[in-house]
Amino acid sequence: MTDATPQPVTILIAALGGEGGGVLTNWVVTALESHGLIAQSTSIPGVAQRTGATTYYIETFPTPLAEMGVDRPVLSLYPSAGDIDLMVASELVEAGRAVQNGYVTPDRTTLIASTHRHYAIGERSGMADGRFESGPVLDAAGRRAKTAHLADYMALARESGTTLNAIMLGVIAGSGVLPAPEDAFAAAIRDTGIAIESNLRGFAIGLEQARLGAMADLPAPDAKRFRGTPASAVEARARADFPEALQDTLIEAVRRLVEFQSPDYAALYLDRLAPVHETGDLILTKEVARHLALWMSYQDVIRVAQLKISPDRRRRVLAEIRAGDDDPVVVTEFFKPGIDELCSILPSILARPILALSHGRRWRDRAYLGLHVKSTTINGFLRIWLLAKLRFWRPHSHGYREIQHNIDSWLGVILHAAETDAALALEIALCAQLVKGYGDTNRRGMAALNTIRTRIIDPVLGETMSSAHAADAVANARTAALSDPTGQLLNDTLNAIATARPQAARSQAAV
Amino acid sequence: MERSFSKEVQSLRLGDGEIFHGEGILAVTKALLQSGVSYVGGYQGAPISHLLDVLCDAEDIMSELGVHLETCTGEASAAAMLGASIAYPLRGAVTWKSIVGTNVAADALSNLTSSGVTGGAMIIIGEDYGEGASIIQERSHAFAMKSTMWLLDPKPDLPTIVNMVEKGFELSEASRTPVMMELRIRTCHVHGSFVAKDNRSGEYSGNNKIKEPKFDYGKLAHPPSTFAQEKDKVETRLSNARKFIVDNGLNEVIDGRLEDVGLILQGGVFNTAQRAMSMLGLGEAFGDADIPRLVLNVVHPLVPAEIESFCAGKKAVLVVEEGNPEFIEHQINTILRKADINTVIHGKDCLPLAGEYRTEVLLDGFVKFLDAAQPALLEAPDMGNTAARILDARAEGAALIGGGLPPRPPSFCTGCPERPVFSALKVLDAEMGATHISADIGCHAMATLPPFNMGNTILGYGMGLASSASVAPNFDQRVISIMGDGGFWHNGLNTGVASTLFNKDDSILVVMKNGYSSATGWQYLPSSARDRHGDNPDMSVENAIKGLGVKWMRTVSTYDVAKMIKTLRTARTTAEKGLKVIIAEGECMLARQRRERPEAARKLAAGKRVVRTRFGIDDEVCTGDRACIRLSGCPSLTLKPNPDPLRDDPVTHVNNDCVGCGVCGEVAHAAVLCPSFYRARVIANPNWIDRRLHALRRRVIAWLMGEEVAAQEPVGEKAAA
Repeated sequence: MTDATPQPVTILIAALGGEGGGVLTNWVVTALESHGLIAQSTSIPGVAQRTGATTYYIETFPTPLAEMGVDRPVLSLYPSAGDIDLMVASELVEAGRAVQNGYVTPDRTTLIASTHRHYAIGERSGMADGRFESGPVLDAAGRRAKTAHLADYMALARESGTTLNAIMLGVIAGSGVLPAPEDAFAAAIRDTGIAIESNLRGFAIGLEQARLGAMADLPAPDAKRFRGTPASAVEARARADFPEALQDTLIEAVRRLVEFQSPDYAALYLDRLAPVHETGDLILTKEVARHLALWMSYQDVIRVAQLKISPDRRRRVLAEIRAGDDDPVVVTEFFKPGIDELCSILPSILARPILALSHGRRWRDRAYLGLHVKSTTINGFLRIWLLAKLRFWRPHSHGYREIQHNIDSWLGVILHAAETDAALALEIALCAQLVKGYGDTNRRGMAALNTIRTRIIDPVLGETMSSAHAADAVANARTAALSDPTGQLLNDTLNAIATARPQAARSQAAV
Repeated sequence: MERSFSKEVQSLRLGDGEIFHGEGILAVTKALLQSGVSYVGGYQGAPISHLLDVLCDAEDIMSELGVHLETCTGEASAAAMLGASIAYPLRGAVTWKSIVGTNVAADALSNLTSSGVTGGAMIIIGEDYGEGASIIQERSHAFAMKSTMWLLDPKPDLPTIVNMVEKGFELSEASRTPVMMELRIRTCHVHGSFVAKDNRSGEYSGNNKIKEPKFDYGKLAHPPSTFAQEKDKVETRLSNARKFIVDNGLNEVIDGRLEDVGLILQGGVFNTAQRAMSMLGLGEAFGDADIPRLVLNVVHPLVPAEIESFCAGKKAVLVVEEGNPEFIEHQINTILRKADINTVIHGKDCLPLAGEYRTEVLLDGFVKFLDAAQPALLEAPDMGNTAARILDARAEGAALIGGGLPPRPPSFCTGCPERPVFSALKVLDAEMGATHISADIGCHAMATLPPFNMGNTILGYGMGLASSASVAPNFDQRVISIMGDGGFWHNGLNTGVASTLFNKDDSILVVMKNGYSSATGWQYLPSSARDRHGDNPDMSVENAIKGLGVKWMRTVSTYDVAKMIKTLRTARTTAEKGLKVIIAEGECMLARQRRERPEAARKLAAGKRVVRTRFGIDDEVCTGDRACIRLSGCPSLTLKPNPDPLRDDPVTHVNNDCVGCGVCGEVAHAAVLCPSFYRARVIANPNWIDRRLHALRRRVIAWLMGEEVAAQEPVGEKAAA
């Protein structure tokens, strides 16, 4: 049966549960029906309505009902691969999912998608950076669609104080795919009777966007916040002694360490970096420069107090919560230092016995000082302010000594490795990434670093283990430590490396 | 309720000849009123939750017609309602989610069908099957067959659905048998139109009550009547039903050019099959196709004469029957064998044994069928290529994306009161080791998904505690069962609490008391603060549990994570034997926001003082370990690019969806994660005390900060090198 008569027009909307994809669907149906067309929509809310991925499906027919007689077209309730005229996605990965499912095909599909990201739980819960790369999706979307309207409509909605749905409706109307005029869609917004003014504003923005036929650029690199306070003499030394390529990192590092402790401390930073720089390995020097600065500006209670009362922080909080400078705001901080954190600012002579005692009695996991401090009240501010003032005392504290020791030891190993294996040195440098967070998280990270050191780095440098692929082994162990908070994966990886290594040594001996 | 239909229900008043526009479930309601029902009822559950919502919103309109509405506490009570139609000429309809609801209703259904009905009795079944389904995948068809009920599976367009509701009541009365009408997920939510008729009152109803009770032992499901009833089912009711189906043309035969083959299909898959044939060049937009079809709007019972006359003279017929086992295919084979008709019957050899029959699936099946059957007049040489091209669209798209798109499972909503309970359980697991958790049906079942991954079994709605009965004595640690207040009233009070107490089992029960049947759209429960009329039902979960004799019971606000951890720890370690119940109390946040937001907006507009709370994370203090997300998973707890030039990994960030429930901060605090969380309370329309206090605080703090403020230039932003 060959069929030259008009065919149904198919529209698939991909959205996240709770986003109001139903509202957009109703607007489209209302617009089509008010223009005298048949419109059928359906959805599968199910459990996906709770923030999961879901879809809405609409079919219409180009012939007006008035010209149809008694027969009605049979409209499908299912979208089919290769059979979609208009694909709408409220988010980039959902657009990717549509492409993956075959709902975007070059012969007929117009794709309208907002390119912002709403991160899925798997992306959000990784210990490092689990974000899905946007590039391939944008590329695939552009290549699979007959026509593509790709832009960050969410950002436009936010900037203009309207909704994503309203803007999307505008783009849908302006795309010209559906057999109803632009006015019919605007009328649908009026017909619903909710937030008419702002929705019509969003609709107009969408229409304009459709005319632009926007194709999104790749996301801009992340905006970085550099410290502005200059730190004179040490900074001059950094500029004089280190190459241009390191300057952004070094100036930021020096300023941060002056703020953290003192110009002398920042000078110590440059002293420590100098031998690494002398290896002539610029990539290594840059990574060490970054991690050394982070490690040296470690976040003890004094540092956290300092960050919490900084004037910049106040400005950021106000912007974040959308409050004006004169709006009365009460900010409550959640502190819960444990024995480790408190001992960290005591002198070693006191800290050591307390730590030993609490370790034996398992107090370390149980004894905490839970504090809810209002940093915007005079009383609360004073407490944090006084804590920040303890900065002068820090060099005498137990934590300071421990950390300086750990840093020197890490640097020593890097320099040692750099003599023979540049790749290994770099991987060891990157292991500093493991030491982050607070309390238990920090202890776990430090323990992971030590484990990798005793089980791979030291044996390799001490030549009791084959040095072949040592850099890969360290990289694998680091990745394992960062992908499993329980440490089980790190253990398994280290065991696998240990069983593989002796064989490598033997086969080398045989040669 | 999640969705209000107060505007849409006005279309239930439409009269003869007027055009109705709306959703499938609203159309069904209209059809019930056009059929003169005297009572309706049911139990919520996707995809028919909205049907119950519509009935509630339409209560005024229905009461004018004398129709009684019962919002039942379970499908068993809903099915038992149909008992009114046994002795009296009352038409009635009930609704629930199937297969699960039908399972629960099974006892009443068996008794009902044995007795048979005088007034038409209809069950509207939301068939939760395929994509979007939230339950086990089974067919309701088996229940229709084993209990001798008739099963309607109409074509998914509103005129057919409405007609089949009306005809269904007549069929029920003509054959004295209850009728089930199954509506698939997409059909329940389909928006379309039909020509309305006037509503009508039943012969007897709230407006014209029955005066005399009717005693007829023959209609009781009690021996020896049951023996006669079994015979009556297969000898009289079945043949009456078949006669009615034929006389009223409930099934449709549509001719096609390829006369030596045919399709026999469930009405519900008609539109999908039509689209698949159009895509193959075998059909057109208005329902004509090359392959002749027998469309079964009634899938049980089959009418042998219809099957025989359709198949006679055809060399092969494909049965398009979704789900398994393939009951229809089996019956058709038997019918043809007995009639000595040798048409080859294809079905599950061309189509998948299990799963939803989407367009692509049917497309593929039709190609296989035509390839096997080789109809004489087939002229579609390109058919195989067309199918391949369409199926390739998927592969090509997937190849470009390169796989690995992050899945997006559903989760607890922002601010959900149930999330912190699982955070508390997870924190406690780190301290004490994990124990067995019997999960249950409800929003709390989201805990089985990332990031919690908690719950070792799911056995059915309200069955959490009952399913622990045999785990507890065989498990090294004290086991925990989860139950929502919905599951509690559905049957958990009896199957769980009473049974555990009766057997003196040593176990822990956590009852999530959020005040609604939330997962299905906030329908009211016996323990809700108010019922659908706005009255307080005054039926508390706590009193019911106490009444059964539970000694150890604690009520804890779910948002108090520290207290929840402490209570759970006590429950897991106390020397006290027996059932320990923790009532985890916290109102469903969606429902609460829906109530409080307009209120706050009104106050704000009126210039009244409003305190707005939300949480935030200091991006300089956050080191991006994400333990907070793994312990909470709140949708508003997300990532943003790290503004620190020395760091690459993103920082954790609270976005503007935050409702200020505080769980992220509480969890970070209880689990000793980090000091980056802060809570901000902003006062809009402050009074003079607020303003003076704020000014004073700002002055003192500025003075204390004096030197730093002067010395520090604002931090600049620039793109990373």
